[in-house]
Amino acid sequence: MMPMIEAHGLGKRFGRKTVLDNLTFTLHAGEPIALIGPNGAGKTTLFSLLCGYLAPSQGNLRIFGHAPGSSALFGQVSALPQDALLDPNFTIGAQLELYGQLQGMNKATARAEAKRVLQLVELPEHLNSKPTALSHGMKKRVAIAQALLGQPKLVLLDEPTAGLDPANALQIRQLVSKMSGETTFLISSHNLFELERLCGTVLYIEQGRLVQQAVSGASSRGFMTLQLDQAPMEQVLAACRALPGILDARSPQKQELVLEYDPQLLTEADLAILSLLRREQWRYKQLTLGQTLEQQLFDVAG
Amino acid sequence: MLLLPSIQPRSVGLIARFELNRLFATPRGWFALGAFAVVWYVILRYGIFEAAVQMKNPEVQQFLMQGIGMLGMNQILAWGEPEMMVFWLVTLTLLPFGVIFFASDQTCSDRARGTLRFLTLRTSRESIFIGRFVGQMLVQTVLISAAMLATLGMTAYRLEQVPLNLLLPALQIIINLLIVLLPFTALMALASALVKSNRMAISLVIFGGGVLLGLLGYLIYLQPSLQSLLAYLPGAQIGQLYKNAGWVTLDYADLPLIQTLVILAIGLLVMKEKNV
Repeated sequence: MMPMIEAHGLGKRFGRKTVLDNLTFTLHAGEPIALIGPNGAGKTTLFSLLCGYLAPSQGNLRIFGHAPGSSALFGQVSALPQDALLDPNFTIGAQLELYGQLQGMNKATARAEAKRVLQLVELPEHLNSKPTALSHGMKKRVAIAQALLGQPKLVLLDEPTAGLDPANALQIRQLVSKMSGETTFLISSHNLFELERLCGTVLYIEQGRLVQQAVSGASSRGFMTLQLDQAPMEQVLAACRALPGILDARSPQKQELVLEYDPQLLTEADLAILSLLRREQWRYKQLTLGQTLEQQLFDVAG
Repeated sequence: MLLLPSIQPRSVGLIARFELNRLFATPRGWFALGAFAVVWYVILRYGIFEAAVQMKNPEVQQFLMQGIGMLGMNQILAWGEPEMMVFWLVTLTLLPFGVIFFASDQTCSDRARGTLRFLTLRTSRESIFIGRFVGQMLVQTVLISAAMLATLGMTAYRLEQVPLNLLLPALQIIINLLIVLLPFTALMALASALVKSNRMAISLVIFGGGVLLGLLGYLIYLQPSLQSLLAYLPGAQIGQLYKNAGWVTLDYADLPLIQTLVILAIGLLVMKEKNV
């Protein structure tokens, strides 16, 4: 099966500054993919390379076997670029219709598509509005709508829920989740909670380098995350460490424990922990098998 | 040329048509049309009409004939009526400057706003560049034709009959003007691809033109034989066009057409290489 994205030795420099350095990775179509990294890590630059907005300084990048920006990808790859806005002089419908026609649709189909994608982001009443009449969050949703025109195979979303209220952010997450079968989403975000729920694969970039490419869940075996309600942290840590089969217990955040255990020795680790908590009458909020994405990433990064 | 296969005719057509919509279907376009109408009303009413009336005065006619003869512009009388002569002279002089301002925002504000990012996912940069250029030429065709129609209407009013004999000269003038404006529009397409605002595009062309003329002047001062280079600048043929009328004016079309192709080729390279 042809990879969706292949990068070999990919690099990008702006003057003397190296923004991306020797990235090599392969991504296949399917579950949404997360692109994570701190500010300035090079996520948006990688997005720009994938969209063909920028040319790489070195290395090779292929999407479905074609160079980014090539005509074979028109209509196949779409994107929500960061901070890109529609033309304020035209109605949203007129612009979406033009985009649809540029993708090869006839006028009637493009018009129907414009209505459909606005419906998807719950803004059908703004077909004849100008972009200037919309709030920041609405503009973002319209920009997401344009990325869904036609039937793109790959949709790149750069910070899709940044600036959206929780209800609309949830709606966008549900939309991505719903469309994931036919379209592969590559999502850049700082919201690990969001990415954890949406994405199967994670690309972690730091200082222009690929630090980790992981499939969600692969590293979750042998870990539990415990969120305490009211309990003496030090005593809980000590008691957990004393349990047979527990390899390590640490507290990365207030009232949160990450327990690493040997699944061979501790076959029912969750029951052992719950029994301990009940016996000592320590109250807890949540026990999760595995690590959160945040813990996985910062273990690696740290 | 390697860039030509990337130009998609359907996309060029769609983008060019969208530019026409910008003129006729947006408040910004209506404002531009309103300004155009006011300027042309002033030119027609107080320029062309008054000049045409004066030129019918035998004394003025004699004086003008002497002047035209001295300047070698006898052929200009072949345009038929004074309105057409004045229209020809006025538009040849003013429109190239007008285009520098009017056609300055072909791709720059879309680049600054990020709208170009939406477009380049759907069609080639070359198609966008050529589409906008073609759109600008369509807009100019509409506006020049409208101004010509108004001039013909005014002539009909003065003559108290429909001047059917002026239809062919009118067509010749429109075709000529469009050819004259081609390299200037292409120059603004190039400038627009280089910068991120129409003001910067205008400044670039005016400043760049000034520097180029200054440099050429200095070189000609050092080496007078280089004066022939001035004949290759955009608009260099306008001096000859002032003196001619009818289809013979198309004899000077090769220079602007070649200039247009060269400038567009450079613009396509810039558009292809520049980040969006």
